[in-house]
Amino acid sequence: MKNKLALIAGLGLVFAAVPLVAHHSFEAEYDFNKPLNVTGTVTKVEWMNPHARFYVDVKDKDGKVTNWNFELGPVNILLRQGWRKNSLKPGDEVTVEGFLAKDADGLANARKVTLPDGRRVFGGSSADAPKQ
Amino acid sequence: MRMRYLSVMPAAVAALSLLALSWTPVSAQEKGKNGEKTPYPGAVRPTKAPPPGPPGPVPHMQDGKPDFSGIWNAQRQLPGDPEPEMLPWAAALTKQRTENYSADDPEARCVPGGVPRATPYHVQMVQTPALLLFLFEGNIHTFRQVFLDRKEHLKITEPLWYGDSIGHWEGDTLVVDTIGFNDKFWFDMAGHPHTTQLEVIERYRRRDFGNLDVEVTIKDPGAYTKPWVQHRVATLETDWDVLEYVCNENNQDPGRLVGDKH
Repeated sequence: MKNKLALIAGLGLVFAAVPLVAHHSFEAEYDFNKPLNVTGTVTKVEWMNPHARFYVDVKDKDGKVTNWNFELGPVNILLRQGWRKNSLKPGDEVTVEGFLAKDADGLANARKVTLPDGRRVFGGSSADAPKQ
Repeated sequence: MRMRYLSVMPAAVAALSLLALSWTPVSAQEKGKNGEKTPYPGAVRPTKAPPPGPPGPVPHMQDGKPDFSGIWNAQRQLPGDPEPEMLPWAAALTKQRTENYSADDPEARCVPGGVPRATPYHVQMVQTPALLLFLFEGNIHTFRQVFLDRKEHLKITEPLWYGDSIGHWEGDTLVVDTIGFNDKFWFDMAGHPHTTQLEVIERYRRRDFGNLDVEVTIKDPGAYTKPWVQHRVATLETDWDVLEYVCNENNQDPGRLVGDKH
């Protein structure tokens, strides 16, 4: 019975368009006009508030490696969406779409995180926050 | 039966597969293209009420008063309330804060949101005949007290983030009066300010089992030329407990919130 309730809740979480929230305005830190799309290897996951974060080593065409810091939504929201700390692990290859920070190198807000088999990991960022 | 978050791994599987189906590509949903400015987050106003909470009768305390105990989703402001009428300094400051993309919002520094700022996450209300507690999930993970057994305010010597709140009943409505505030918090992401003259009057009425109506009146002659009334609703959360939210554990944002100054 509990599992059934849980499954129903999981479906509801997806379809109810639950507003996602954050403690700062997206546009104060990130720029919608600077999209980013990179592929690399996860080096660390920080399962903490006010934002979960993960870090990715990305190699450019000259072989230089940059460690990117990606902001996610808060842990409590990710938990309610069904995600867990180990949903993404160091060593995973990921493609990340997001938006660059306005004033910090190697920092971005992750909006779409995709594993090599096409599965999406995580969702929710301050861009989806209700404005109040 | 309430779910604990550690018991919902099947939900993760469902969410994992269905999120992929329901996701709208980033390029189709974002606003800023070709250098155009996106709307200021603080300038956005509600356009519709949230979906109603579950129906049913209002629970009551043993003394016959309505019982507000329960876990509530974040209060949402309803559309239609007029904009506040401010003194020139307050209007200018609000404009500056809004047009700087709310970069200086104290809430991003993990300090309390004060009153009547709607916390963005779940709130557990715990009611006894003498005391009403608000247990905030987040931003920040703290509490607020409303004393129901006291008719006079404390003499405030040190201004407070949540002030001194006393409540009394008018029929089925709990009227909460709060004074004694500091002037450090914003009312909202727009950056509406206040002074230590602030008095907030909140009228709580549990309309039915799953819907809590909240009318908020802001009185502050130091910043506003007339009382500012807001209408809000909170809906009952039936599936989830209040979770932890430790804002200061890894708050990397403050030095990076550059707003319009980059």
